[in-house]
Amino acid sequence: MKKIMVGNHAVSWGVMLARAEVIPAYPITPQTTIVEELSVLCADGRLKARFIPVESEHSAMACSIGSSAAGVRTFTATSSQGLALMHEMLHWASGARLPIVMANVNRALGSPYNIWGEQSDSLAQRDTGWLQIYCESNQEVLDTVLQAFKIAEQVLLPVMLVLDAFILSHTAEPVDIPDQKLADNFLPSYRPDMRLNSKDPRIFGCLAPPEYMMEFRYKIQQAMLQSKEVCRRVDEEFGRTFGRSYGVVEAYRCDGADLILVTAGSITSTARVAVDALRDKGRKVGLLKLRLFRPFPKEELLDIVRGVDKIAVLDRNLSAGIGGIFAQEIRAAFCNEKDRPPIYSYIGGLGGRDITLQTLNEVVYQTYERSRPEEVSAWVGLRT
Amino acid sequence: MSKPIPLLREGEMPCQPVSLASMEWNKTGSWRYLRPRFENKIPPCNEGCPAGQDIEGAIVLIGKGKFLEAWDLFKEENPFPGVCGRVCYHPCETSCNRGDFDEALSINALERFMADMALKHRRKPSLKRREKRPEKVAVIGSGPAGLTCAYNLVRLGYGVTVFEALPVLGGMLRVGIPEYRLPKKVLGEEIDQILELGVRVEVNARLGAGLSLDDLKEYQAVFLALGNHKSRSLGIPGGEARGVMSGVEFLKDVNLGKKVELGKRVAVIGGGNTAIDAARAALRLGGRPIILYRRTREEMPAFASEVHEAEEEGIEISLLTSPVRVISQDGRISQLECVKNRLGPPDEDGRRRPVEIKGSNYVLEADQVISAIGEEADLASLPKKLGVEDNTVPTDERGATKQNGIFAGGDIIRQPHTVVHAIASGKRAAIFIDAYLRKQKWEGFFEALRVGQKGSLSMKRYLQEESDRPPLSDKTVLLKDLNLDYFEYKKRLKMPRAKASRRSGSFDEVNLGFNEEMAVEEARRCFNCGVCNLCDNCYIFCPDVAIHKGKEGELNIIDYDHCKGCGICMEECPRDVIVMEVEGR
Repeated sequence: MKKIMVGNHAVSWGVMLARAEVIPAYPITPQTTIVEELSVLCADGRLKARFIPVESEHSAMACSIGSSAAGVRTFTATSSQGLALMHEMLHWASGARLPIVMANVNRALGSPYNIWGEQSDSLAQRDTGWLQIYCESNQEVLDTVLQAFKIAEQVLLPVMLVLDAFILSHTAEPVDIPDQKLADNFLPSYRPDMRLNSKDPRIFGCLAPPEYMMEFRYKIQQAMLQSKEVCRRVDEEFGRTFGRSYGVVEAYRCDGADLILVTAGSITSTARVAVDALRDKGRKVGLLKLRLFRPFPKEELLDIVRGVDKIAVLDRNLSAGIGGIFAQEIRAAFCNEKDRPPIYSYIGGLGGRDITLQTLNEVVYQTYERSRPEEVSAWVGLRT
Repeated sequence: MSKPIPLLREGEMPCQPVSLASMEWNKTGSWRYLRPRFENKIPPCNEGCPAGQDIEGAIVLIGKGKFLEAWDLFKEENPFPGVCGRVCYHPCETSCNRGDFDEALSINALERFMADMALKHRRKPSLKRREKRPEKVAVIGSGPAGLTCAYNLVRLGYGVTVFEALPVLGGMLRVGIPEYRLPKKVLGEEIDQILELGVRVEVNARLGAGLSLDDLKEYQAVFLALGNHKSRSLGIPGGEARGVMSGVEFLKDVNLGKKVELGKRVAVIGGGNTAIDAARAALRLGGRPIILYRRTREEMPAFASEVHEAEEEGIEISLLTSPVRVISQDGRISQLECVKNRLGPPDEDGRRRPVEIKGSNYVLEADQVISAIGEEADLASLPKKLGVEDNTVPTDERGATKQNGIFAGGDIIRQPHTVVHAIASGKRAAIFIDAYLRKQKWEGFFEALRVGQKGSLSMKRYLQEESDRPPLSDKTVLLKDLNLDYFEYKKRLKMPRAKASRRSGSFDEVNLGFNEEMAVEEARRCFNCGVCNLCDNCYIFCPDVAIHKGKEGELNIIDYDHCKGCGICMEECPRDVIVMEVEGR
């Protein structure tokens, strides 16, 4: 069944299909309609979940931690300042190895006050021990909710799925709604062995002094590294069940490319059009969609870009003092590789500024023209 | 420090930080998986003392100026702190953890100090005693073993008679050790304190000379502590000549105040304490002694300090030298023919054997030879039933001989021939004679009364009701268990000694003892290994204010409702008093 729906409702419907059992959430623009729709679904009985309106995002995550520790499938959603307010609880959730799934609608962090799209909020939570998956379309958003729970519950780590403010969150697209039975087969109910249980009371989040902390951290790292394979398998299984799959990264028209453009999120859909047009003009440009950011899919990226002359990375985010975060991550991942193409870093679309075909063409042509990358990221679409 | 790590490898750990078992016992919830507990342990000095004295406890008291109370504590385990404080080879100091840090505590000097203070203040021991019992016990020999046994048997309620072969009490303490090392006044006072408890004494009662075991039928048990009073003979040509005497005999005569005819050039043969004592005594009587020892200084069984003091006094020591022939002229010794040795391979006891160097013979002018090459027991008077072997009386772990009711101790049984081992054997025999007379099962005594793991037993514990005995730790605290960040380097105080030049003509005591300030200063060097001294570090460091002050003089209190089990109290305890235990699973 196909429905026309905004990205935020695609999240909510994904959560319904996943049969989440507890949803503690606090509204924030541009995430509000996710929560709104979920409260409706809960209220009219289509989703048999406990919806808990909490007093802040910090409480939302704290409550999610409690609920997930009790062995219950738990979902929450937030954006920007709300995500920042959750920060300390994000560490706690991953440290406690709780398979919470959260949707984050990418939005710039103030000040200045801005409610539009930017990847800086989710990337600021890079080191919290959460998996991060960046979505390109409303369909992918809904599908990724189902995938995220399956991945999280296998590796016992929380998963954050990320969608762009307004461009996805408030833009309606046709979305194929999976059959509930198929969804149930794909994602069986969650019944962990270890859960809060008043009949067998345990310490949760016990003290781990220096003789234990490293081992717990090591286990998280191991789980993260293994989760990439889990992401790949879950996506494949999803494809077999529902006829759609996304990969941890996607190479679009990269065959024989001399330049590959790297994007994440909804920019990718615009970039597909740009690449098609450039190919028509005889430019050997390819596109690489970075879907999984944590764990970082280094080998998958390398397989695609090996032998290419240049890579151009367009970041809708900024780590002030160094530049685009995706570009930095790719540089760091490739730095010990022999045949690494030079990486050209671009920053654009901050605070919701449109990334148009023209922006993307500028990125591609600048990259062709330059003989070597600039020391710092180049800015595109900046009014000078 | 010993924080348990119940899960050793990453693979054994759960992936989630969740306790491995129910925490239902803790109604308020907890982050804790380890629980701190105060547990006093065994200081290595206490364990190292064969007499099982509470050395650490006494040193704490000295540090607080409670000198007489410290002495009281020592008297619980040992009637001879004044003797041991002078002549003990102090294995406590060898065990002292400070020895591996800077220098061992001067425990021996502190022991002497306590005894000196008690003597000065005419302190009488206040001892715990049991009710009187009808049985009587005979003790043969009034050396440290015999008198310690008598001391403890009287405390246990028995009527005790000590039979002594010589006209004076004290055995080797009296007749073997010269006045300058152990003044008769000190020994006499400690023996008097034993007698004052009600011990009967018969002197001039030598076993085999008018006294036999059969005469002791009225006694329900006997303790044999005859001692080693017979010198081994030199076994060289001329060794029987006039002018050759045994070290034991020589020292006995000197100690008993007899007039001893001594030559000028005195060759003392041997490297043990008897040889050193004989040489130093000879020096004090106007002789010019030279010590001949067949091996090197390393192998000398004498205390190094004694050897050092002898040399200070100008006594010559000729090492790797053996006498081969005594040469006499006109019925009197004139020369001693000697041979030089080199060291060969080790013998059974691990010391390198001397091997004669052919042709190295030379002649030493000497008009007196004192042979001190070892003492042995004279056990001819003992009944065959005891199965004397190799000049020792076989005993079991209690000190019991093969004959029911007859126990033995001191130098006649197989154990190191030291004063403190004699004392230990006397105490042990008293405990097991008591068990024998009361027909008690004794197998559990070693576990219940032990001080550490080296076999020392505590009379104080034995006199306590079982329910009153403090719990015994299995652990002896070693240097690695201490938090050394809390201790400063400080050299040990040395006892003042009489000037070497003033010693030769006098039997006055050489070591002069600590004064009060010195004793307190030295006592405060003690690490108090394994024993809480209320330093309050745990109270200061607990990040959760979960350690509360105890009552004055008592342990602090751990608030388990708020303790997170982080172990910082254990880490910061300077002396390994806090153990971390895995919470009950």
